[in-house]
Amino acid sequence: MELYKYLPQTNCKKCGKPTCMSFALELLQGKVKISDCTPLIEEVKYKEKYEALKELLGGEGGKEKQLHIEIDEDLCDGCGICVTACPVNARYCPPTLSGKAPDVPHDKHQLFEVKDGKCVLLNLEHCRRLEAGGRERECRVCEIYCPREAIEIIYI
Amino acid sequence: MAMERIPCTGCSLLCDDVLIGTDGIFIDKIYGACLKGKERFNQPIAENRLTSPMIRKNGKLENVSWDVALEKIKQILANSSRPLLYGFSTSSCEAQLKGIKLAKKINGFIDSNSIICQGKVLNVAKEIGMTLTTLAEVINKTDLIILWGSNAAASIPRLLNKILFSRGKFRMTGREIKTIIIIDPVKTASFGVMQLRDVALHIEHGKDLELIRVLKEECCKKDSVLEKSVAGIDKEELNRLLLNLVGAENGVIFVGQGILRTHSDDNIIKELLELVQLINSRQEKGRMSLALLGGHYNMIGFEQVALSITGKNHSLQFSDNNLIETKDTIINKIEKDDFDCSIIVGTDPISHFPFSLSKNMASKPIICIDNRKSATSDIADVILPSAITGIECEGLAYRFDHVPMQLKKVLDPPSGIPTDEEVLNQIIQKLDVS
Repeated sequence: MELYKYLPQTNCKKCGKPTCMSFALELLQGKVKISDCTPLIEEVKYKEKYEALKELLGGEGGKEKQLHIEIDEDLCDGCGICVTACPVNARYCPPTLSGKAPDVPHDKHQLFEVKDGKCVLLNLEHCRRLEAGGRERECRVCEIYCPREAIEIIYI
Repeated sequence: MAMERIPCTGCSLLCDDVLIGTDGIFIDKIYGACLKGKERFNQPIAENRLTSPMIRKNGKLENVSWDVALEKIKQILANSSRPLLYGFSTSSCEAQLKGIKLAKKINGFIDSNSIICQGKVLNVAKEIGMTLTTLAEVINKTDLIILWGSNAAASIPRLLNKILFSRGKFRMTGREIKTIIIIDPVKTASFGVMQLRDVALHIEHGKDLELIRVLKEECCKKDSVLEKSVAGIDKEELNRLLLNLVGAENGVIFVGQGILRTHSDDNIIKELLELVQLINSRQEKGRMSLALLGGHYNMIGFEQVALSITGKNHSLQFSDNNLIETKDTIINKIEKDDFDCSIIVGTDPISHFPFSLSKNMASKPIICIDNRKSATSDIADVILPSAITGIECEGLAYRFDHVPMQLKKVLDPPSGIPTDEEVLNQIIQKLDVS
């Protein structure tokens, strides 16, 4: 609803969606971009709304905020819950299905690994927050389930 | 460099999936182990490693040769008629067997760390029976996990990872279908893994027995609804607990230290085992089982070894080379001052026991067999260093779920340092010579 307020609310169908409400929903899920709504950019009277919407969604283009997963090394005790819980790890590293440590050298998709008793972030490219669509894009399992609260998902 | 999966001896979970890389001298890569395991694998080169036999001369510990140290032990044991043997929970089963042999030879009293841990449960289980489960079953089948008086996230860091988050062989969902119930008076780190559907029960301190009795009455009866709160827990939460207990297809209760420590009598453990039996008999489908969480990695091993060769699982008193009946435990023995020297193998009672007990213990000669310095080795009269089981020597160990695991050897021990088994064997041989 918050996003809907900032749209033209004319149901002009220029974006290809039947109503502005459905556009707002898909905007929330990340399926469409703000620039798909042409009246919002072209018409001067919507400029304020466009700026506010960009602010709300965390910017666009060059100003886009980057995803970071920060692991606090002092808090982490290497329990490996993030390694097992991460859906990307589960898909590409079969040993994690039964709670075991993944093979070394690691798969190129693997996100987390426990090395020397501390969790290490290997790469972010394949994180669900970047690759998946729909609700899965809001994945936060590593952050939610860390018993030590050592993992933080932030946008900088 | 080859990576190898070996069992980790950091705690009683004995993770068999830890990957280590070694060049035969050092372990320089450790993947998959938690902090506890990592410290264990770093033990061979740790600063507090014992590398030479020592005896106390004029109040100071001095490095001596093996012969001198063994001679001193022989001297101490010759002057002693009631020796105590304690520890063995961080040794292999082979060493435990030798320990019992030594106790038999010197007419001693032998006990393991299980006496202040899960030994109580196993004692009661011998009378009324117990439903056990294995880790593999928990991983693949369990849908209800109850942590009773245990902060697994701190004591056994990888346990929650394995039991709660693993998907298992028969399905692709993991955390989604598993419910966790934590019964604890304190909000511990383990509560951090909970979801909305899980049940957190903040029980009042020391009221576990009350809760067990209510559950025994109400559990698995048709349409049973509790009307009032019990032991400081809301009735809504209690009803959710009852619903989960009835609905579970394969539930496990993890018995932690919290439930064992608060009650001095065995009553609570008996009632807990009876509760599990009751649920199993009333339930139409599905079952409930128990798992015992301990700290030392081979605590269950001593119980198994002692049970298999003497018929009693701990607190073995020998006299004239025969086992005699006694109700004493190591705690009573030290309280009553009913001993005149002690042999400590691979543990640290001086820092584990209360001050009154450790004071008694320190007043008598102590022989310490260990691989690292501890409070016990600091006040010991004779110290014999030994190799680290699971890293520097092989052996058999029992996991917390009573499954035997073969430990592996990856490094050579420092020159001249024998294993626990060999050290005990040398003492036995030295006593034979006279």
